[in-house]
Amino acid sequence: MKTTFKRLALAALVSAACIGAANAEEIKVGAELPLTGSLARVGAGMQEGIMVAQEVFNKTNGKHTIKVITIDDESAPAKAIAAVEKLASDGVVAITGGYGSNNISPASDAANKLGLVYITSGGVDDSLVAAGRKNFFRINNSAGYEKALVGLLQDVNAKSVSIVYSTKDATSGLAKDVEKALAAKGVKVAMHSFDPAITDFKPIINKVKLQDKSEVIAMVGYENDYVGILRAARVLKPSVKAMVGVWSLATPKMAADFPDLMPHVFGTALLPFPAEFKTADGKAFADAYKTLYKKEPDYLGQFGYVQSMLLFEAIARAADKGTLKKGGVADELRKTDKETLIGRVQFGANGDNPNFVHRMGQHQDKKIVIVWPKESATGKIAYPATPW
Amino acid sequence: MTELILQALYSGLLQGGSYALIALGLALVFGTMKVINLAHGELVLLAAYIAYAVESGLGWGPVLAIPVALVVVCIAAVSVYLIVSRIKKDREINSLILTYGIGVILTNVILLVWHADVRSTSSTWLQEAFVVGPLFSMRSELIFFVVSIVLMAALWWWLSKSWYGRAVRAVSSNRDAAKLMGVDPGRTELVSFIVAGVLASFAGVALFSYGVIQPAYGGALTVKAFIITVLAGVGSIPGVLLGAVLLGVAEALTVTLASSALQELAGMTLFLLVLLVMPNGLFGAARRRG
Repeated sequence: MKTTFKRLALAALVSAACIGAANAEEIKVGAELPLTGSLARVGAGMQEGIMVAQEVFNKTNGKHTIKVITIDDESAPAKAIAAVEKLASDGVVAITGGYGSNNISPASDAANKLGLVYITSGGVDDSLVAAGRKNFFRINNSAGYEKALVGLLQDVNAKSVSIVYSTKDATSGLAKDVEKALAAKGVKVAMHSFDPAITDFKPIINKVKLQDKSEVIAMVGYENDYVGILRAARVLKPSVKAMVGVWSLATPKMAADFPDLMPHVFGTALLPFPAEFKTADGKAFADAYKTLYKKEPDYLGQFGYVQSMLLFEAIARAADKGTLKKGGVADELRKTDKETLIGRVQFGANGDNPNFVHRMGQHQDKKIVIVWPKESATGKIAYPATPW
Repeated sequence: MTELILQALYSGLLQGGSYALIALGLALVFGTMKVINLAHGELVLLAAYIAYAVESGLGWGPVLAIPVALVVVCIAAVSVYLIVSRIKKDREINSLILTYGIGVILTNVILLVWHADVRSTSSTWLQEAFVVGPLFSMRSELIFFVVSIVLMAALWWWLSKSWYGRAVRAVSSNRDAAKLMGVDPGRTELVSFIVAGVLASFAGVALFSYGVIQPAYGGALTVKAFIITVLAGVGSIPGVLLGAVLLGVAEALTVTLASSALQELAGMTLFLLVLLVMPNGLFGAARRRG
């Protein structure tokens, strides 16, 4: 009986040692995301990209295995901080994710205090990189959206623009940057801020129609805002030449969900739809995405994938050098200079990617056509043209 | 400027009608049971998602979803009642916590079933412009404004003429005295919840027809309904309509004459001003004087 007990104990010890050895190769990475609450849709989109990055990295890297631990921050800043702290206690070496500058700011602060790298594509507010967080990195920014929006409006030679924008930090920051850039080029700009809670945009569009009489309406908000603004414009029919927006607008999903509202609407778009991936990385991403989610990849997944792959590669390099827990991940990310699915990514001293420039797409015949910049265009611009 | 103000007044009036439809159910339950049903916005949202499911799944227009919404939302409302009615102590405070929890559960059920995507009707007919002189609105807004008025009139008639309506008012006025008069408070409260479910069904289908819905939207609907209920004066049906229209018009005029960023602030300022001058709400004070 004693011998049997000893054998069992020995077997248990050996098994535990083996499990420990196997786990030693596995590196934990945290994903703090809004999977419920007002940002659930974008949070879920980003998570898809993160999980695709885990899948592709683990298949192709060979030496290291990444395990992503996800915590829902419920679209709330306080929950985002709690998620980061919980992930740190779970032993993650870095955090990928975050959506909404209002949530990312406190969450990345918490990560910074804990010495954890925080990488995102979900917050474009400039204050995020101005706060001096050593471990904060992002692959996109307001400037890249501004360049695309202003570039398109210049190309179509718009003389007057009404900017309708949400009062949230990121949207109002971008709207004001665009206003400055357009005013500097001699374009007449009228600004209309709106509270994120409003649902009836007719009084605003009526002001554009009767007072501003602008050539273009530029929308800086989110999906629900765009639908409200486009609906109000469809009812009041202001004599504008184009409806232009930024994120979450020129997407296959919006084309499919709101077919009557989207024709001719412009928005930032990384890829045309149907998507075309020409690089090996792009094909690996698209294949893994379709296998995991049985649908065409979207831009949120693309951003989540790029930020996570850059992080995983930096982690692998730091692990090889033995600096994983000595600030090595941040050092390796600072050395990054890579052509990715969203263009060239480098990180400046403040953690921002100075190379980020978006593209502009237009809804045409249930497809997304890239119309700006000219070198990336996949079709001709339709202008003047509105959905009604 | 005249055209702008006229349109603002018209948009505010229609918006007020939709606010009233959302607030009525909350006001009724608040009046009868002294329970603030913090899950009311989620019941409205549930009806909106049922309209979406019927439209996207069967290809029917949102109006045809009303019977389905009535069944599902009324069952949900009865379930909320059965849970809330089990509270034996401190009903006001405990029901607040309980209905808040039910609201969170409902939000997550909606999220699980229909995901987080933004939804709205694809019926172009409902979204088309209805033009009267210089005034513009969506067809759906006008249709549901009329529906809102009809439902309010029906509710007023029911409360003043029918036996159960009078029982609701009696329980609202004095629960113990109503019991002595042969009114079953439990059954009356259940009826209130069912009527609130009916109103929430119409409100939800209306919301889907002219607005945009998301799973997290229920909380905002409850807050708006609560503001209107208090503004109106507890238990006052005409007060709900007046309070809702005042709020809608104040918001639309703020957007037109100042900035849309101040819209919510204008609504809250109106709310606080009314309560400062008339602590029982618009019609609460009038009733007391009468």
